[in-house]
Amino acid sequence: MSTNAVPVATEQYNYGIVKKFAIMAMIWGVLGMLAGVYIASELAWPFLNFNIAEITFGRLRPVHTTLVIFGFGGSALFATSYYIVQRTCQARLWGGKLLPELTFWGWQLALVLGVITYMAGYTQGREYAEFVWPVDLLITVTWVVYFAVYAMTMVKRSQPHIYVANWFFMAFILATALLHIFNNLAVPVAWNSLESYSLFAGVQDAMTQWWYGHNAVGFFLTAAFLGMMYYFVPKQAGRPIYSYRLSIVHFWALSFLYMWVGAHHLHWTALPDWVSTLAATFSILLLLPSWAGMINGIMTLSGAWEKLRTDPIILFLVTSLAFYGMSTFEGPMLSLKSVNALSHYTDWTIGHVHSGALGWVAMITFGSFYHMVPRLWGTTLYSTKLVFVHFWLATIGVVLYIVALWVAGIGQGLMLRAFDQYGNLAYTFIETVTFMHIPYVVRAIGGAFFLSGILLMSYNLYMTISGARQSASAEGRDAVAAAAR
Amino acid sequence: MSQQTENKKGQVETTGHVWDGDLREYNNPLPRWWLWAFYVTIVFSVVYWILYPAWPYGDTYTKGISSVEYTVEGENGEEKTVSEHWNTRALFTRDMQSSPSALAQQEWVGKVQDMSFEAIEQDPDTLQFAMSVGHATFGDFCAACHGAGGQGNVGAYPNLADNAWLYGNSYETIVDKINNGIQGMMPAQNVADDTIDDLAKYVLSLSGNAEISGEAASRGKQAFASCAGCHGAEGKGNEALGAPNLTDAIWGVADVPGCGGDVACKTGEITHVVNNGIQRQMPAFGERLSETQMRMLAIYVRQLGGN
Repeated sequence: MSTNAVPVATEQYNYGIVKKFAIMAMIWGVLGMLAGVYIASELAWPFLNFNIAEITFGRLRPVHTTLVIFGFGGSALFATSYYIVQRTCQARLWGGKLLPELTFWGWQLALVLGVITYMAGYTQGREYAEFVWPVDLLITVTWVVYFAVYAMTMVKRSQPHIYVANWFFMAFILATALLHIFNNLAVPVAWNSLESYSLFAGVQDAMTQWWYGHNAVGFFLTAAFLGMMYYFVPKQAGRPIYSYRLSIVHFWALSFLYMWVGAHHLHWTALPDWVSTLAATFSILLLLPSWAGMINGIMTLSGAWEKLRTDPIILFLVTSLAFYGMSTFEGPMLSLKSVNALSHYTDWTIGHVHSGALGWVAMITFGSFYHMVPRLWGTTLYSTKLVFVHFWLATIGVVLYIVALWVAGIGQGLMLRAFDQYGNLAYTFIETVTFMHIPYVVRAIGGAFFLSGILLMSYNLYMTISGARQSASAEGRDAVAAAAR
Repeated sequence: MSQQTENKKGQVETTGHVWDGDLREYNNPLPRWWLWAFYVTIVFSVVYWILYPAWPYGDTYTKGISSVEYTVEGENGEEKTVSEHWNTRALFTRDMQSSPSALAQQEWVGKVQDMSFEAIEQDPDTLQFAMSVGHATFGDFCAACHGAGGQGNVGAYPNLADNAWLYGNSYETIVDKINNGIQGMMPAQNVADDTIDDLAKYVLSLSGNAEISGEAASRGKQAFASCAGCHGAEGKGNEALGAPNLTDAIWGVADVPGCGGDVACKTGEITHVVNNGIQRQMPAFGERLSETQMRMLAIYVRQLGGN
């Protein structure tokens, strides 16, 4: 409820670290999405490469994915998880001032080093894990500290029960540690070289990479954001979570099932057929546990539907759950071997990822931030109207993006498998590229919509924060009343 | 501390836990439709496991009851049908042997196998087939350099869509070049600074791209003597060496048309080629393409040149 913006809380809890991560999430979000729009434009209009190696698609693409997943998503998760664990455990963050700060600077340094090395041409060549080995070590240290801070805060909680959001965050932290370490096992070429060799070879290397890659989706981009959902949806709606039982069932089902499905990225390759089968069936088994999270969120809002007209934050939260439901339906379908034969290596996959990343991950973060940021600074939002505008920009952007890549991906897939009456391939690769030009243009426009949305949000949050600071400095400790005008 | 919460009308009770002031949880049962749908996915998976290779055990795995049949050649050359548990290799072999498109292709490949180029060219049906193979093959193997329409790239890759052929346009030659690749090479020439401009102008004059007369012309012609070994005394080229005809106003390396009417620019282009020579290479495709593919490709490429 909106009366939670009590000034006492800023002293009871460590809000400083939450604020820092929240601000960096917005900065990385803007930069990462800008990079995304730029590389999308490069695909539509290749002259934008300008023959400058540093800004070609191959180098900017990991900059984009790293900044949106780890910069925007990661910083948002640090911020919200630190916020939620303190408030639901009624305990100040463990580790004094130093350890939480260490997670902040370690994480930000890794991101900056990542951007610099990718643009300079240094990469490990593993999708979503392009960081060279010294940065991997930095991330490992940072993550272990994060785990300690989070777990110890839960240990010293003054609540008898651990709230469901914390289970999801805990699973996310543990699984990410496991994934990061095993996927990055490599032997450096030399102590003073950024290059390294993976410890695994051939299809085992590919499997390790996709075990990591898909669980990055499962635990980083799903479980953790479900943690966010489990706190901010009931908070913003002012209603209890729909079902405790459902939350237990789908928490364990997700945690168990996700670990098996990564190999569905490698159908029809040198991967053994039995691995393919297991990955496909476990993906199908994941459908309903994923939907349980959506059900729990949406049913929590039932009874508060009238708020959809007046509360754009609820709008963001509901829409993100709808996109979550849609992409977790699409995912299992894509993991079936026969569907995958059509979709694999086409932009359908990219569209699918973005319906999850933009529709679910980014939208739930937007909703959560619009709720959290005013409370962190003990004020109210600068403009609710701008949140509405942001909502529509974001929604139109996602829809344009997904539809464009359905057309591009399914179209290309069908062209690549078409035979003429002589049994020869009817289309060459370059013809499919020509066909995709228009969808690529639409995709870039969709991305631009989404980017303009987050720019608007940054402005709104900036005005919210600077408003709170001005009134705080003008009227000292009594500022809260003025901010709540 | 947990508190009791008021039980709203018609709602199930919450678990009684409260966090952060007002966070509570109802304890609704699992939605029935959800539970049944989950069971359906379990049944689906079990059926899938029974049909296809699925669970590892020991050093092997459950093979599944689904199978794939294809033919192999026996020891005495006779065809034998073998049946394997479902697997992607067998599936690939089967598709290459008996899918509708494979059958169609085999029929046409058989038809053109013993036909001469001329016979294929004369029969509209086989010509269509050749163009179909050529289109697919050219697009995937040749278009990256020569362009989707064979238009090439001045300075780098020869234009195949005009009717100038560096090595001639006999089918046998085209197949040979596809099969073995080409090492295209013109040695850099050491021409004295005071004659290079005359030489360049002379070369341009061969195709009417520049005017040159009097003493300059004879100096240029004299300097051309060292070019004549390959390009011929009249600059008409030599197909055996792949030396281009310099009199046809078709330019593959020096971008003369790109200069418009600017004579200084044109001589600059020629001078650059003379001073630096040409080194270009087309890879050999013999190991990647079948005999039929190369033959059909030759027909397609010759058609590109409007022949």
